[in-house]
Amino acid sequence: MSKRDSKDSMNSQSSLSVSDESIARMLCDDSHVEQAVRLIMKKYGEQLYWHIRRMVVAHDDAQDVLQETMINVYKYRSTYSNEFPLSSWLYKIATNESLKLLKSKSVGMVSVDDLGDSLKETVRDEAGPDADETLVLLQEAIALLPAKQKMVFNLRYYDDKSYEEIHQIVGDSVNTLKTNYHYAVEKIKKYITDHQL
Amino acid sequence: MNEFDLDSFSREMPFTMPEHFMEEMTEKVVSQINRQRRRTHERRMYAFFAGAASVAAVAVLLLHPFGGNSLNVPDYDTISQCASIDEVFQNMSSDELGIYSMMSNYYGD
Repeated sequence: MSKRDSKDSMNSQSSLSVSDESIARMLCDDSHVEQAVRLIMKKYGEQLYWHIRRMVVAHDDAQDVLQETMINVYKYRSTYSNEFPLSSWLYKIATNESLKLLKSKSVGMVSVDDLGDSLKETVRDEAGPDADETLVLLQEAIALLPAKQKMVFNLRYYDDKSYEEIHQIVGDSVNTLKTNYHYAVEKIKKYITDHQL
Repeated sequence: MNEFDLDSFSREMPFTMPEHFMEEMTEKVVSQINRQRRRTHERRMYAFFAGAASVAAVAVLLLHPFGGNSLNVPDYDTISQCASIDEVFQNMSSDELGIYSMMSNYYGD
C-alpha cells in the first residue's frame, strides 16, 4: 500500500468513526455543513446508492436520485430530529426520492407498480452479459414486486434493517411490514422456481 | 422442482458502480450545496440592504418632510407674527430689500 493510499484509508476510517450525533450537529451548523455532507457521503453514500439502485435499477437514475437525496438532506436539515437514527432519516429521504422518480416514470400508468416489466428489462440491460444469472433472476423478481414490498424486502434482505428501523423509514406498522416481507419472499421464490434453468 | 432457500443466495448485486463514482458524486453534491448557500447568502444580504435603505428613506422623510427646511424662504407664520408691514421690512436683509425694490419698480406700486 502506498503512503497516499494508507493516508486515504486512514481518513476514510476516521470519517466512519465520527458519530451520527456529531454529523447531525455539524449539519445544523452553517459553518460545518460542507464537512457534514462529506462525512455523510463517506459513511452512508454507498449504502444509499445501492438502496436507491435496487429501487430504480438504472445507474443514471440512481445517480440523479442520490444527488437529489443529498440536496434534500441539506435543504431539510433543520427538520432532522435526534429521536431517530441519522441513517433512518437518510434512508427515508432516499426512499421518498426513489419513489418520486418511479412516479415520474409511471405517467400514464395506473400506479408505480405497473413499472415492473420495464424495470425487469432494465435489470437485464444493466446487468450485462457476464453477470451471474441467478443474481439477475433475483433482481428481476424484485423488480416485479409492488413498490412497498420491494422497499421492505430490500431493506430487510440487503440492508439487514430491523423491522423497527424499517418502520422509521417506511412508516407502516411492524405487522404490516412483516406481511409485506412475507408476500415479497413468496413472490420471489415463485418467480425463481418458475424461471430457474 | 425443489424450493430453494433464499438465504443461500449471495447478497451481491449483478450491477456495478462506476469507478470513482462516490468521489465524483461527493464533489458534485458539495458544489451544488455551496451554490445554494451562496444564493441564500446573497438573498439575505439583498434583503438586509433593501430593509436598511427603506428604514433610512423613512427616517429622512420623517426628519425633513419634503425638504421644507432646506428652502430659505420665510414661512407664512413668521410673516404673520410681525405687528406691521414696517416690521416686515425691518426684518428684511439688505439683499431682500434690494430684490423687493427691484420687483416693485418692475411691477409698479
